[in-house]
Amino acid sequence: MKRPSPRTLHTRRDFLRTSILGGALAPTVPLFLEKTFLCLDSMAAETTGQYPTGKDATILVVLQLAGGNDGLNTLVPYADDAYYRARPRIALPRKEILTLGDYAGFHPRLSALKSLYGEGHLGVVQGVGYPNPNRSHFRSTEIWQTASNADRNESEGWLGRYFDNCCGGSDPSSAGVAIGGQTPQAFASPTPKGIAFTSPQQFRYMSEAANDPAAADTFVREMNQPSDAGAPSLSENSGGSIGMIDGPADDMGSTMEFLQRTALGARMSSDRILSILRKGTSPVSYPASQLGNSLNLVARLIAGGLPTRVYYVSQGGFDTHANQLPGHDRLMTDLNAGLASFTADLKAQGNFGRVLLLTFSEFGRRVAENGSAGTDHGAAAPLFVMGGGVKAGLFGKYPSLTDLQDGDLKFSTDFRSVYATALENWLGAPSEKVLGRKFPLLPFV
Amino acid sequence: MTMMFTPLPEKLWNRTLAAHLLNRAGFGGTPDQIDLMVAMGPDKAVASFVDADEEGDLFPAPRMVEPSLRMEFRRRMKEAPDEFARREIQRELQHADTISMEDLRVWWLNRMRYTSDPLREKMTLFWHGHFATSNQKVNDPWLMLVQNETLRRNALGKIPSLLKDISRDPAMIRWLDLGQSRRDHPNENFAREVMELFSLGEGHYTEQDIQQAAKAFTGYRIRPETGEFRFEEKDFDSSEKSFFGQAGPFTGDDIIDMIVARPQCARFIGRKLWTFFVSPEPTDDQVSDLAALLQANRLDIKPTLTTLFRSAAFFSPKAVHHQIKGPVQWMIQSTRMLGIPLSEARVLEASLSSLGQVLFAPPNVKGWDGGRAWISASSLLYRYNLASYLLSGKARILGGGNGKVAVIPLGEIAPAERRTGPDELLDHVAFRVFNVPPPPRERAAFLTFLGKKPAPYSDDVVRDLLQIMMGTPEYQLT
Repeated sequence: MKRPSPRTLHTRRDFLRTSILGGALAPTVPLFLEKTFLCLDSMAAETTGQYPTGKDATILVVLQLAGGNDGLNTLVPYADDAYYRARPRIALPRKEILTLGDYAGFHPRLSALKSLYGEGHLGVVQGVGYPNPNRSHFRSTEIWQTASNADRNESEGWLGRYFDNCCGGSDPSSAGVAIGGQTPQAFASPTPKGIAFTSPQQFRYMSEAANDPAAADTFVREMNQPSDAGAPSLSENSGGSIGMIDGPADDMGSTMEFLQRTALGARMSSDRILSILRKGTSPVSYPASQLGNSLNLVARLIAGGLPTRVYYVSQGGFDTHANQLPGHDRLMTDLNAGLASFTADLKAQGNFGRVLLLTFSEFGRRVAENGSAGTDHGAAAPLFVMGGGVKAGLFGKYPSLTDLQDGDLKFSTDFRSVYATALENWLGAPSEKVLGRKFPLLPFV
Repeated sequence: MTMMFTPLPEKLWNRTLAAHLLNRAGFGGTPDQIDLMVAMGPDKAVASFVDADEEGDLFPAPRMVEPSLRMEFRRRMKEAPDEFARREIQRELQHADTISMEDLRVWWLNRMRYTSDPLREKMTLFWHGHFATSNQKVNDPWLMLVQNETLRRNALGKIPSLLKDISRDPAMIRWLDLGQSRRDHPNENFAREVMELFSLGEGHYTEQDIQQAAKAFTGYRIRPETGEFRFEEKDFDSSEKSFFGQAGPFTGDDIIDMIVARPQCARFIGRKLWTFFVSPEPTDDQVSDLAALLQANRLDIKPTLTTLFRSAAFFSPKAVHHQIKGPVQWMIQSTRMLGIPLSEARVLEASLSSLGQVLFAPPNVKGWDGGRAWISASSLLYRYNLASYLLSGKARILGGGNGKVAVIPLGEIAPAERRTGPDELLDHVAFRVFNVPPPPRERAAFLTFLGKKPAPYSDDVVRDLLQIMMGTPEYQLT
């Protein structure tokens, strides 16, 4: 690992003092902030050769299609009679398909994706799955989030392991930002790094609940930063007065330090995120949906120069067991409009080339429709990769519709090959360390 | 008995240590409750937890879809005239189940809040994290309730009996696919996890041990009409198995007896107990000592905890005020400390989900990681705002809705004679909130805050003081 020069470090420290913390912490920059610089600097040295200031590093956006998206009605094998035989009620008419070559094509509502494909900015990885597929939403989502084998239970997420491998002790928002009420399991790690919020208004300390908001705000700002060097914290100090038992409270410092570090990190990222969002709105209009709002937020944070390299958003409602056609149509319309707005926004910012968006769903659906004009839980399905740096095309091969495994498509590409490609060739991270073993890379970036 | 568990000298017993016992063996308490413990002395204080009155602990379980009613739903679904009617009935059942789960969580949280037997609830929570069964897969709130009662009944009992009961527990049977394990096709999920997660830990058995144990755990079934366990003789593999170097036509109970006979079982569970009750990352010596204590007590939890809670090690400065509160602990301890009821169900559901501890839905088979994994930038801010919400009832903080303000007993928290000056108020309130004296930096900041207010202090000032105290890294510790 290349150490940054003292000169660089000095400059970075000044930068932090002035631009992030304002005057609040001017006299002492806590140790962990210095670690942040070292980390960012060494990452830069190893990967892009540039310091990722938030204006130049590559960014990964993960979009979860929750509930199990019907891959067959998303990338439709319109030239295959087996498709129409298996789905007499819900097959999409051949003439409406937005064709990509002579076998498969997009759902009719995915016109923007078709255009992106034509422009060379959208790839489709076909037949993505894993051995011994699990058809439980809960379990299969967990497998995707942890990148584990189907017969292994892992608790750390694949992005959490990426954060751990790339960057210690930094401002949490520079690791990953998830738009949603709960941190996704993909971010899980023994010391959580990314942040999660539904709306940025919630990701802040709400001093207005106090009778004297100004005083409460000042207090909370003062108390939620690491104590000055040498000043004992509550528990260290109290060892003497409570501690009839001999022996110093030596490991306490680290738990307290961890809490203080997280508190300052929370405050920093909250301040930074709110200040970016206050600067203005997107020039582009987004669909009025959860997905639209989430992508809009991500675009604004990217525009504002947040040094976050991983974003996580989700779109729900894909569990289409009954009367699938109208519901799935709405989902595709929303997805298409959301991605169209996001692309236009990023292009206007000049950031489209920095962003790779990757979709996934916990499973595809059965080849055959069920008795209620819907589809039940299945296995392999296609996923999308999108961005200025993407090489367009169809990757992997479309699974056979007749050579099935328990009524489901057999996967042709392991989903961890997609992750490995994004890690190695986009984020510049060692995929073997993150995924536990080597997976073949795909040529989409 | 090892040196490790020499009792705390009685003369050292004080309010902070009594509070520590209340916090760890239960869910905390008010200064009055702490003083009661101080007056009892350490022996009686510990006894009040391990020998609490469970008879008086009456919490009627919520109504939910019982097995007979679930059968009725299934029958109606089967007889539905078409798919759409069937889906409609299914939706009705799902709706009832969603409400049942919410009721069940609120019921248990209230039980923790008001119980006269807090250690039993604390150990039930420990075992829930240990066996980590989620309704996301079990998909039957009734079975989750039954498992909860099984854990509660065995909470302070003998580990071998608990493991045998849990192997027959219908929710567990569904959670780890035991119900699909047949003689000709044994499912290894339970056999693996009973050793890896429940008793020994990775590396203390072979793959062959798992395959052989899986054969012994065949024939475990659930009666759909009653939701009870039944043993299906014809699905049981009665052939000879070879397990841990022994051979015989072992049953599941035989396998459990052989597992718990391994010294590693006491070490594995001892390590988890130490982490849960004393301090994170125990040393090998500490684990060995607790394991020896468990073995000396024949893996009986109650006498083990009696010795542990009375020991000097339990009250070490490395333990007191060194544990990060889990979300449930934070919630129950905060409301007990403030002397207020739990928030309405909507707030409980939203906040425990945002903070990462939804009861009956642990994140995976390993349960909640606990410790530092509870704390992220988002969850820490959420904790601060939740504290403000508890004190102010301003619902915007939790994203809208009409919050019902709990009446904070401010007159009791800060009686008039304590409101005359900053030092009097501060020390009085800080003990309630932190149970340890505030360090200089915090103390100075609290005093600065109070210095700008006119004494005698109003209710508004006391409320704000509580709010800023709960919005600190320190408050996350217990």
